[in-house]
Amino acid sequence: MLSEQRLRAFLFYLSLGIFLMGLPPILSSTLGYKFDRRTFKFTKAGLIVLKTQPAGASVYLDKQLLNIKTPATINELLPGRYNIRFELERHYPWSNEVEVEAGKVTRLEKIILFPLRPYIKQLNKDRLSVFMVDEEKESVYYINQSEDSIYKSDPEGEHFEKIGNFTKILPPAVKWKISPDHQKVLYFNANQIGITSLVSPKENLIVNAGFVLNYPQGGILDVFWYSDSYHLVLVSSRSIQALEAQSSSQPVVLVNLTKKNTCAYYDTRTDTLYFLDSQKAADGNLYDNLYKIHLDTRAFILQELIKLKAYE
Amino acid sequence: MNKSPRLNRFLEITPGAISWGIILFLIAISVWRPIICAVLIIIFDFYWIIRTVYLTTLLIMAYKKLSQQKSRDWLSDCQRLKSASDWQSVYHLIIFPVYKEGLEILRPSLQALKQCRYPKDRMIVVVAFEERYASSREKAKVLEEEFQKSFLGYLSTFHPDGIPGEARTKGANATWAAKHAKDLLTAKSIPYEDVIVSCFDADTCVDKEYFSCLTYHFLTTHKPHQASYQPMPVYNNNIWYAPSFARLVEISASFCQMIESMRLEKFVTFSSHSMSFKTLVKIDYWPVNMVSDDSVVYWKAFLFYKGEYRVVPLYITVSMDAAYSTNFFKTIIIQYKQKRRWAWGVENFPFVISRFLNNGDIPLAKKLRRSFHLLESHITWAVWAIIITLIAPLPILLGGAFFNQMPIGYNLPKITGLLLNFTLGTSLVWVLMSIAILPPRPPDVKWTKNVVLILEWVIVPFVVLILGSTPALDAQTRLMFARYMEFYPTDKMRRK
Repeated sequence: MLSEQRLRAFLFYLSLGIFLMGLPPILSSTLGYKFDRRTFKFTKAGLIVLKTQPAGASVYLDKQLLNIKTPATINELLPGRYNIRFELERHYPWSNEVEVEAGKVTRLEKIILFPLRPYIKQLNKDRLSVFMVDEEKESVYYINQSEDSIYKSDPEGEHFEKIGNFTKILPPAVKWKISPDHQKVLYFNANQIGITSLVSPKENLIVNAGFVLNYPQGGILDVFWYSDSYHLVLVSSRSIQALEAQSSSQPVVLVNLTKKNTCAYYDTRTDTLYFLDSQKAADGNLYDNLYKIHLDTRAFILQELIKLKAYE
Repeated sequence: MNKSPRLNRFLEITPGAISWGIILFLIAISVWRPIICAVLIIIFDFYWIIRTVYLTTLLIMAYKKLSQQKSRDWLSDCQRLKSASDWQSVYHLIIFPVYKEGLEILRPSLQALKQCRYPKDRMIVVVAFEERYASSREKAKVLEEEFQKSFLGYLSTFHPDGIPGEARTKGANATWAAKHAKDLLTAKSIPYEDVIVSCFDADTCVDKEYFSCLTYHFLTTHKPHQASYQPMPVYNNNIWYAPSFARLVEISASFCQMIESMRLEKFVTFSSHSMSFKTLVKIDYWPVNMVSDDSVVYWKAFLFYKGEYRVVPLYITVSMDAAYSTNFFKTIIIQYKQKRRWAWGVENFPFVISRFLNNGDIPLAKKLRRSFHLLESHITWAVWAIIITLIAPLPILLGGAFFNQMPIGYNLPKITGLLLNFTLGTSLVWVLMSIAILPPRPPDVKWTKNVVLILEWVIVPFVVLILGSTPALDAQTRLMFARYMEFYPTDKMRRK
């Protein structure tokens, strides 16, 4: 028992010794102090936190290779400017000057090391002229305008399949836009708007072959989906109109435009249209202004407007 | 002896005030002076790592002793002593204070006594019932019929309620029983100095070598009447059936007791223990108005013998019940209340210090050392888990952008993470030992339980948070506000 108690006493004093000896370096290091051997003084140092994407890059500090890989921390750096360089095989190196301040952390945490030869993968398995990416549905759509057909795959190009044909318009469509409900796509040129389904025949029980709306006045600049995926907002060189996405649709004019080639932006989340138009000022000159229309009264008002127009 | 109520209140307030002071101080400076707070947390973390390694080493040493002495034939060792007749003159008085425990708990405890190798004609058993429970007499009658003829003496006592100066505590019941046993010993002309009294919880099942081991130590210890004898408590009676949560807590409690057994200068009696009956009579038995009778009886003897009293560890186990209930939440509540009762041992602090102040016979250095140990152990118990789990992240959360720009703001979570990893490393030792001290798996328990026994250590951080410091802080706060506790016996549950 006595020798045991002696051993225990030894362990106790050993632990106490480790605590008392270990505490000063731990505290000075965590507080950012470095012992300067030349001056025998503690100097307040700084540290650099390094993170790269991808991780595992070699680190050079003032051209000297350190025995660390990212993510890492360089502790106990005396204040001043340092050159940091990251190197990773098959990636562009990154290099820059960083300022280290006494008692502060310098963070290099948003470093991306870009690959020298990025991996390129062909996705389509047939000819195509246009493509669309639906992030939410994680689908890629391929348009073959010469065969009037639409294909679909996942983002890796797998499960490539034909999902249908669309009605051709001439000249070929300048833009393609997926509806907010991800079920349809619209495409248009200056005087025609086409709409077709994006649902594959396997999933689509009600076959909708698609249709084309003719716009004889011409001058279509842009067409937007309304948030209900049933109405469209059309911007032409003369006016802004609303119409239903169906073959017998009767458009209603929301705004007559002065500016011939306006540009517009549509926010589907709030059903707000931003557009440029010209207005004559008191000095007799035309000046461009930015306007916005709230169409967020939902389809109800649009529907009523369109019906009224139809009865006229 | 304790003449100043003001001094006593001051001493009752001291542990809680220090614990709360530490916690509130750290919270306040984490907002106003986060760097100072972080420095203090790092010092505490480093201290805790060293302490954990040190205590785990002591645990390994204690476990080694326990394993070495497991298969020792203590009765033969007694017979081989120089004066072989000595051991035959030693009588054992065994007291079981009973609260509401049923026969399914009491019967195995008495059965274990019966199976002991020590001669039964040297054993007197007292089953101490509380008179206020109607079923007590019925249970006493059944047990008397079964066990009366198995020992030299067998006594059922019924402790009446409402004796002036008493509280409803286990100590009051045990004292009543010991006084009746004293009459029996006198009637049988057995000298008190030849009697070792063991006060066991009702669910205590002793090892068959326990009384031989105890006798050997009693006969070989210098000044045997100036020592208490502390076996290693394990909670093996129902451990295979207890839920993970309860099992972890009870195994940790056993380990803590094993560690304490290696720190003799701090060692105090806990739960089931033994001592000289002569000394017990001299110090006027157990306290009758305090919950922590098991440790207060040690301090009474310590004061009586002017500091020349100690606890001798017995590396032999006494097995008790793990506290658990029918569902998870009830188990947490039962465990919480049990740990709070253990933590109520903080009432020893005013008891001991007020008597130290009036005692000029104990050397000052000894009084200071013991006072410090007593206070430090209770304060550490109440604050360590709160500092590590709740206060350590505060400087980062409340210190603001400035603090997070400082090296210490960057290093604090790293050091805390290192602490966690280190603690996990030492936990591995605890896991292996927890398996080693288990009794054989009962046939109705599936082998998959062995896997559960290892995996359950994952919930240690959760257990630490709930049962690490909060019951101790609760107990100290109650003592601060003079909301004195009565004895809350833990409900026992055992498969029939």
